[in-house]
Amino acid sequence: MGNTKIAIVDDEVHIRALLEQTLEDLEGEPEILLASNGAEGLALIERERPRIVFLDVMMPLMNGYDVCTAVRQNPDLTGITIVMLTAKGQESDRVRGMETGAHHFVTKPFDPDEILALAHRILQTP
Amino acid sequence: MSKTARYLKAPWARQQLELLLPLLPAGAAATLWYDNKQLAATGADGADLYEGAPAVHRFPLVLESRELGQVLLRLPPGTDPATASAWGDFLVHSLQGVLEAQHARYSIAQETLESYREMALLQRAVGELNQSLKPASVAASLLKEFADRKDNINFGAVFLRDTEDGHYSVIGSFGHQAEDVCAALQASHLFAVMTGHPHGDIINDLAAGEIAALRSLMWIPLSVHGEHLGLLVLAADRLEGFAAADMKRAQTLVSVAASALRNAQLYAAEKVMFQAFVRVISTAIDAKSPYTAGHCRRVPEIALMLADKAHQAEHGPFANFTLDEDERNALEIAAMLHDCGKVVTPEWVVDKSTKLDSIGNRLDLIAMRFEVLYRDALIERYRATAAGQADAETAYQQCLRQLEADYALLKKCNSGGEFVSPEHVERIQNIAKAHWCNTQGETFPLLEASEVYNLCVQRGTLNPEERKIIEDHAIHTIRMLSQIPFPRALRNVPEYAGGHHERIDGRGYPYGLTRDQLSIPARIIAIADIFEALTAPDRPYRKGGTLSWAIDIMHRMKQEGHIDGELFDLFLAEGVYHTYTEKHLPAEQIDQVDLSRYLDPAPH
Repeated sequence: MGNTKIAIVDDEVHIRALLEQTLEDLEGEPEILLASNGAEGLALIERERPRIVFLDVMMPLMNGYDVCTAVRQNPDLTGITIVMLTAKGQESDRVRGMETGAHHFVTKPFDPDEILALAHRILQTP
Repeated sequence: MSKTARYLKAPWARQQLELLLPLLPAGAAATLWYDNKQLAATGADGADLYEGAPAVHRFPLVLESRELGQVLLRLPPGTDPATASAWGDFLVHSLQGVLEAQHARYSIAQETLESYREMALLQRAVGELNQSLKPASVAASLLKEFADRKDNINFGAVFLRDTEDGHYSVIGSFGHQAEDVCAALQASHLFAVMTGHPHGDIINDLAAGEIAALRSLMWIPLSVHGEHLGLLVLAADRLEGFAAADMKRAQTLVSVAASALRNAQLYAAEKVMFQAFVRVISTAIDAKSPYTAGHCRRVPEIALMLADKAHQAEHGPFANFTLDEDERNALEIAAMLHDCGKVVTPEWVVDKSTKLDSIGNRLDLIAMRFEVLYRDALIERYRATAAGQADAETAYQQCLRQLEADYALLKKCNSGGEFVSPEHVERIQNIAKAHWCNTQGETFPLLEASEVYNLCVQRGTLNPEERKIIEDHAIHTIRMLSQIPFPRALRNVPEYAGGHHERIDGRGYPYGLTRDQLSIPARIIAIADIFEALTAPDRPYRKGGTLSWAIDIMHRMKQEGHIDGELFDLFLAEGVYHTYTEKHLPAEQIDQVDLSRYLDPAPH
């Protein structure tokens, strides 16, 4: 198995904890990395080059859209699947997320089984 | 990896030991074992410490009375054992504090994730359970929630209670030999306990062999507003198969399923009632005239047979035609109601068997008038004989022959069985010029204007005005049906029903629609209507025709652009006419039909 690192970028500690705990059930026990704001998250992504990033939209310092745009504009960062997390269900959020380069959109509170299935599917895809 | 294994992470543990090391006397070493793995080590040869080695002190890490790991600590020779144990206790205490906090955090998170799961499950289940209006589909959606999960539920079934007799029947199940298990369950004494229980319960210690291979059982009644609709039963073939949490989760789903089931039942009841209304109306139309008795009952049968064949066709013009259950239902209702406009058509027109029918047959009146003329002729003969006129007898005979021929012509024309030629029309008009007079000397025409008008109708028994009244039934059908707020699934009923007198060449009535403007179901009903009318045993204008005669006429109608040729070919090729006539027509009407005369040979 290739790169199985998963980054969780969210300013809310309980979401980080819940997502981490959910993803720990993945087979192969991928390495899980945490960041608590957008700027920290971008630095983490540039340093660790995870396979998947769970990225919150509304965050201090740098929001999810900007992180997403920055990742997509960096030619060194390839093969990263971005899953956006939002508490808002608005269709326009989804559209904007997709425009900035996110692949998936998950609303909070998330369905743990859906997260697991999604992460599993992404890790299976080279 | 066990859950507790995640409580202590290696980087954090390493850091903790590194922070401790400077506080210890020089030469000290420590290592932390956790979850059967060496998580961290510090100091000289720290990684090589083992229990029982000289000067090595062991401190167990315990969480909720379970030993999860140990700290091994080696202090330089000569260190006071009390000091060693103080350092060890301090380290273990801080580690255990972290373990306890992590344990609490993981447990709380687990609870939260479970409620997230529950919420997602409910959200999905509500959508799925409410998607169908069929009890069996609701049951299937409910059972799917349990059958698909990995929590080892081996058997599941939904029992529906009959509101009339209280009997329970299975409307869905899963598991190995589920039908047998259902039967065993219903036969067991437990079933009465389960159906009588208001909230449901768990039995985790079923005796072996009591009900098939089941060892644990959970059941929950499906009820809405205190009304008991049925029962969900889940079972496992091991002891202790269910916990309170399973029950809670199942109850959530069952409450949604019960509402969906209730809706499905109400919908079904509405449907049954609506169909009963439709049947009453179509029976009333049929009952209006003895000649059309059973027409509204038989047309749907033919229409459905033909529609099913079109639906099943895998190639040819109907390969892409499908008829789902709703559309099939709409077609049946439309076929039953296609003549509903006839309730406003006067019976004397519907049943008009001769041209001079109105409330009674006026041919009898004309016969009376001829009778007067016969008598007049007879009197004239006596008078002429008495006056000694030589040709009295000849003139009488001539007059009599003329009257007889005239009356015979009128009688023949009145039947409507034959085409009335222009010569006949002229003769009728001449007959009408004759008069008869009463004893007061008043004269009257032999035929009234309206009688001449009716007798001169060229085909059939209806004059144009009456034909219009008959044709109006189609528009009345459409008008009446358009006033019914049909649900979505039935919204095409007025179109299907109202088009049965249209022709595919656009020369039909009431709207003169063409093939492209008529739906396939409307065209199907048109064919069913004609075929039933032609083969019906007794009609006002003729006896029931033979099968070959009817097919021949319909074939001509196909060639003339009256009926849909492709549907008629399917009607013949698939033997719809045959299946129907075998079932409904007396043997004397059924004769051999030579299909090769009407169908092109198959292309392959």
